[in-house]
Amino acid sequence: MRNTRPLRAVSLCVGLALFLSGCTGGAGTQSLYGQILNTSIASISAKRADKVEQPVVTRAVLNEVEEPYIQVTRERADISAYLFASAIRQDDLPGNIVQWRAEDDVTVTMRNGVLIATRGLGGDLMSAKVPVAPGQAGPAASGERIYYVRTGDLEERAIFMACDLVDLGPETIEIVELRYATRHLQERCVTPDGDRPPEALRRGEGRIVNDYWIDQRAGIVWKSRQWAGPHIGYLGISQLTE
Amino acid sequence: MTERVFPRRRTRRAAALFPAMLLAAPVMAQGAGPLEPSLDLPTPPTLNFYGSPGLMDMPTAEMLPDGQFTTTISNFGGQTRLTTTFQALPWLSASFRYNGIQDWNFGGFETYYDRGFDVRFRLFTEGRYRPALTLGLQDFVGTGIYAAEYLVATKNFATPGWGPASLPGRLKLTAGVGWGRLGSYNSFGAPFGADRPAYDPNSTGGKVAYDQWFRGDAAFFGGIEWNPNERWGFKVEYSSDAYNFETGVTSVFERKSNYNFGVEYQASERTRLGAYYMYGSEIGVTAQFQLNPAEPANRLAAPAPVAIEKRPARATNPEAYDTAWAQSTSAGVEWRDRLAPELRKEGIGIDYITLSGSAVELRYRNLRYNSQTIAAGRAARVLARMLPASVETFHLVPMSGAIGLSTITMRRSDLEALEFEPDATDALLAVTGITEAGKLPPTAVPGVALYPNFAWGIGPYFDPAYFDPDVPIRMDFGLQIHATYEFSPTWKISGEIRHRLFGNNADGRGSNSVLPPVRTNQVLYAQEDTTLHDLYIEHRRKVARNVYGRATLGYLEPMFAGVSTELLWKPVQSPLGLGVEANYVRQREFDQRFGLQDYSVLTGHASAYLEMGNGFVGQLDVGRYLAGDVGATVSLDRTFANGWSVGGWFTLTDVSSEDFGEGSFDKGIRFSIPVNWFFGKPTRQSIGTGIRPIQRDGGQRLNVPGRLYGQVRDAHAKALRGEWARVWE
Repeated sequence: MRNTRPLRAVSLCVGLALFLSGCTGGAGTQSLYGQILNTSIASISAKRADKVEQPVVTRAVLNEVEEPYIQVTRERADISAYLFASAIRQDDLPGNIVQWRAEDDVTVTMRNGVLIATRGLGGDLMSAKVPVAPGQAGPAASGERIYYVRTGDLEERAIFMACDLVDLGPETIEIVELRYATRHLQERCVTPDGDRPPEALRRGEGRIVNDYWIDQRAGIVWKSRQWAGPHIGYLGISQLTE
Repeated sequence: MTERVFPRRRTRRAAALFPAMLLAAPVMAQGAGPLEPSLDLPTPPTLNFYGSPGLMDMPTAEMLPDGQFTTTISNFGGQTRLTTTFQALPWLSASFRYNGIQDWNFGGFETYYDRGFDVRFRLFTEGRYRPALTLGLQDFVGTGIYAAEYLVATKNFATPGWGPASLPGRLKLTAGVGWGRLGSYNSFGAPFGADRPAYDPNSTGGKVAYDQWFRGDAAFFGGIEWNPNERWGFKVEYSSDAYNFETGVTSVFERKSNYNFGVEYQASERTRLGAYYMYGSEIGVTAQFQLNPAEPANRLAAPAPVAIEKRPARATNPEAYDTAWAQSTSAGVEWRDRLAPELRKEGIGIDYITLSGSAVELRYRNLRYNSQTIAAGRAARVLARMLPASVETFHLVPMSGAIGLSTITMRRSDLEALEFEPDATDALLAVTGITEAGKLPPTAVPGVALYPNFAWGIGPYFDPAYFDPDVPIRMDFGLQIHATYEFSPTWKISGEIRHRLFGNNADGRGSNSVLPPVRTNQVLYAQEDTTLHDLYIEHRRKVARNVYGRATLGYLEPMFAGVSTELLWKPVQSPLGLGVEANYVRQREFDQRFGLQDYSVLTGHASAYLEMGNGFVGQLDVGRYLAGDVGATVSLDRTFANGWSVGGWFTLTDVSSEDFGEGSFDKGIRFSIPVNWFFGKPTRQSIGTGIRPIQRDGGQRLNVPGRLYGQVRDAHAKALRGEWARVWE
């Protein structure tokens, strides 16, 4: 008798969950309460999953990989993922476009190693005007930069910035046990009224800094830290495999 | 064949080596650095006991951020106020309030419940030296227990802050002059005349009380709010409200002081809690909830699309552009079968597809996305990935049943060229055509197994009834089963059965109406547990250029059955739509089975709909209502591209305010919130409701399912442009 009690409780819970979630058939979509329930469960399990330690990737593991991979870290959320090259393109503008894709259908797109778009993160960088030149990895010049950002009520907003490109000289960096001789370039960008003190900044005004560690002869941006718009913030990007 | 699907190119080994780590995981993110450009809305003002920006009982001159939607619950001295406020324009806000006063013991009420509306207009924004100035009308319709008018000024100052961020605190000084309730303590006279009628708890109310605005005694009020950091706030005010009725005629509480004190704490981004010492005798509390349609709880993130594949250059690879494949009689069917599963992955169902060597017209149903533009973008991507290179022009026709809503025309070469260009969104809009959906081409191939289509669902339902004088909110809760059978795109049968599990709607008050009781018999309709909510057959189609038609027959809603017909004229590019609707209905039996009562009525309206810019949609309906009364309904809604809408309506008919009863005429507010606003996942559902201060029988329209305007507007030029940013998502 005592043993049946937990069973009854479980079946009651399952019954209640089924009742609240509802059931549908045919070409109709899932019921509203079902979606609420599913999303809540997914979000709870995702929060639990986040507490799992991120595994350490070694060079021995990377040597087994034949495809190019990058690691992307969202600084604000302190989470990272490995992305594979899912598309390579050229268009009428200078630079090679590579779109990188994560397991959870997030993409990060770069032109000559300079970030031009994200998708699947929410508040995405829809497109960007970046100063790149043919055959030159990373940003090629000082000048205007425009970020087109999805925000608010499904609108897209342009953030205009003036950037100074500064050469900080040679630096040796390490990515998963391998050392690379690079040149450290820094882009210092400011919006038209973005040079005020923090408390006097108006909405959409401010300044950002993008860093690139580049092997200019090989034409590879090995590592970078780039701003992806006000809703996503900075992304740390390292090239793990070529 | 150019069919190359890119994403899973990596080796199996890599998949095994790399742990599946997620980039889009919903974790609590930190905020932006202090120097980064931010598009977050500014910190909104705090709210008072009446749910307006303010101190405690007194208002301030601040306005909420544009579009802000707030709910405030406050209580002190046995008086509870529940207020919702909407900032409809940067300089205009409107509030609806429901309040209960305990220990009233007057006019037969132990606890007195009332509803009221407020509006506030900002006259000046705050300048460097000039304070903001706002004019407010409080409880300006109805019996007006809280009726007051005021002119108030507020000025912000920076102060030293608390905490490590070393950001400055804010000090807000407020002073104002009030009339009515806000002119009742220590008044300095009546500058605009003394002829203000006293509060009359027995009036039917409902009339706009413009004849008493700014009349009678006036008094000064004021106060200070100090926010040393983003979490804490302190308030002090001098109240000019004497609470004459509550402390003189009845004994609701004791007013011992003119000063009120409070401390508030920002518990979360959207929630603020406050505790107060009121009038020297009472403890008060508030809970303030604020949200903004433009700041979703979770930012909408659809799974990233696959990049558009570029076709080989025509000059170097002319054979790829050969159109011979299109000569085959089976080409249409073949391509439909190849495209269908790929489109289905994007939540798109094929209704019809028409292929030629150089163009494709896809008539499709958007089953997943709230936004029509993301569905169009995803459909275009699938076509660009799959179809032979010679197909250059894409005509995308979103459908609602058999109705083609509009034609979105894109060139494949534009999609290829623009995907990664700066400002691709505007660049694509500039080369995209949005036109009327034409007639179905004779060579169109229908989608597979779309019809007949049977869909069903079981789920819970909630049926609230508001503002009963005995119980503020009544609610029925139960199980509903609905089913829809679509014979063809133009014909469907739909029905819903409800079974109540528990609830108390059946205990409400009966009708005391002198009009035919077309709505006030809701208690009689709430007696049975199992009811047929609706059961009808519907026919919908496009009847001429720019003209859409609907005919519906059956048990249309819980209280009426009959026949309903509608015609709507709405050109794709026009902000104006015109419609007519005619219905002949008979009142249903209270048990809501198949029986009908004797009362029948011919009801119908001529309607004009106007998209006025800034998301405002106005509607004017002129015609005959369910009780046989003749008049007009004016409604105004602010719609947001993300699916939010907030609005209100009022109806004036030839029924006198005496015959109408309490409230004098029909009016209410309504809102609708898309589910994806909360969860950030694509869905098409929304939650919403309309709330009337009181339900009477005058000015009542039939609730017909499937009215045309909302469905049609959704995919017309203005709506598509408003949400165009999603086309590349």
